[in-house]
Amino acid sequence: MKFVFSEVAQGFRRNLSMVVSVILVTFISLTFVGTASLLQMQIGQMKNYWYDRAQVAVYMCSDVSATDVCPQGEASEDLKASVKEKLESNTLSQYIDKYYFEDHDQAYATFQEQFKGNAVAKYVTAKQLNETYWVKLKDSTKSQIITESFTGVAGVEEVRDQRSYLDQIFSILNAASLAAIGIAVLMLFSAALLISTTIRLSAFSRRRELGIMRLVGASNFYIQLPFILEGVVAATIGSILSGAAVLAIVQFFVQGYLAERLPFTSFVGLADGLLVVPVLIGAGIVLAALASGLAIRRYLRI
Amino acid sequence: MISISNVSKQYRGSARPALNNVSLEVAKGDFVFLVGASGSGKSSLMRLMLREDVPTKGSVHVLGENLVGIPSRRVPFFRRRLGVVFQDFRLLPNKTVAQNVAFSLEVIGKSQGFIQEAVPEVLRLVGLEGKADRLPSELSGGEQQRVALARAIVNKPALLLADEPTGNLDPTTSQDIMALIERINLAGTTVIMATHDRGIVDRLKKRVVELKDGEIIRDQVGGSY
Repeated sequence: MKFVFSEVAQGFRRNLSMVVSVILVTFISLTFVGTASLLQMQIGQMKNYWYDRAQVAVYMCSDVSATDVCPQGEASEDLKASVKEKLESNTLSQYIDKYYFEDHDQAYATFQEQFKGNAVAKYVTAKQLNETYWVKLKDSTKSQIITESFTGVAGVEEVRDQRSYLDQIFSILNAASLAAIGIAVLMLFSAALLISTTIRLSAFSRRRELGIMRLVGASNFYIQLPFILEGVVAATIGSILSGAAVLAIVQFFVQGYLAERLPFTSFVGLADGLLVVPVLIGAGIVLAALASGLAIRRYLRI
Repeated sequence: MISISNVSKQYRGSARPALNNVSLEVAKGDFVFLVGASGSGKSSLMRLMLREDVPTKGSVHVLGENLVGIPSRRVPFFRRRLGVVFQDFRLLPNKTVAQNVAFSLEVIGKSQGFIQEAVPEVLRLVGLEGKADRLPSELSGGEQQRVALARAIVNKPALLLADEPTGNLDPTTSQDIMALIERINLAGTTVIMATHDRGIVDRLKKRVVELKDGEIIRDQVGGSY
């Protein structure tokens, strides 16, 4: 064993620049993997949080609604009452957690709040904003029921599930994390190639020793182990660095920066980061062992 | 000890086989010279006996192992039971004489205690006592080949394969090396030696196997070149 470790140390000294590049490439690619998986976790958390709060809006016709859906113009009190009645009917009420009605003035207040400072806030009037029944379902995935019951009903302009807005945001975030994973996979592939090149270089510079080892009958395991360890040690250093980087991102960027600026969103914390780190290190080690094992097997035929 | 029967070896991309239907039996304790011009198949035959190669056809048995069917993970253990020397010595330039011999024991997992005992003993046997701490570059060619021989026999192998061990040495040094190889043979080790050196073959009067164009054309006990 003493021999194996002195061989590994020698290999490191001999190919220092290659070893450093292996460390850097595994470091960066695994950091990408780690960040992407944290982003996935974040999406999951946000979905849970927001889907839970997502409501279905039943927009009533207003003066400015298009005439093909709202031929009668502003929805009359009768029409509003019939929608309310339907919401309270047995067929629908079993799915509904609660609902409330938002009239023109409330809608206007909310709008002014949301678009404070925006030029559009000055021009909009209360009458232009729809009166709305906000429906909170017991199971937010069943919005179809409300949509089907009210679409085309007289006095209803549109039924909209808030989840459809959320889905857009999530699909953007999802695409971002997939892109990060794609980059990470490419980089991991190049890390694997780099490891196998390094190993081959290392084997080439030790070919005399290797030839003699084979002649005197050193076992394959004994010949290959120093090389595999060389790759594994380099990749382990890289993956530990990437673990540290992921934790630093969580601690200083997510918790320290984002969480302070967006106080109403729950963000991934150090606990999630600590969940990712062992996976990164494990992936780094397995990748390096496979890459160097394959490289050395191809190079050292018995 | 060695049983080679109907062996042919065809290398990829060459029209003529390197070995063509070669059969050879070597008994325990024998001393066999393999002679023949370059390209006659001597080296191919040596490579088969070392299991560096497998034959295209035929069977090779060495030290009781069937070298055609042997799984590759057992090849190292087979090689531990024989010693090999080459024309170019194959020593590690950055290790001393003693370290060179010790290296071959370390990599097959021998204990430090065994190494500390076996290395000085084998260096005495090959006449290199007092040079244990020299580097190969500080030694003459003959001395380097002694180191290689020491490394080959330190495990007390039953078989010594020597591929032109005197090819790089002057006649006087060659004689010293041959005397050493004969001593090793007398101690019970079977020796197969490929050589071009007519003088050595003629003087030793051992069994001579001559190869030409991949075929054995002569197998003579007490023969000459």
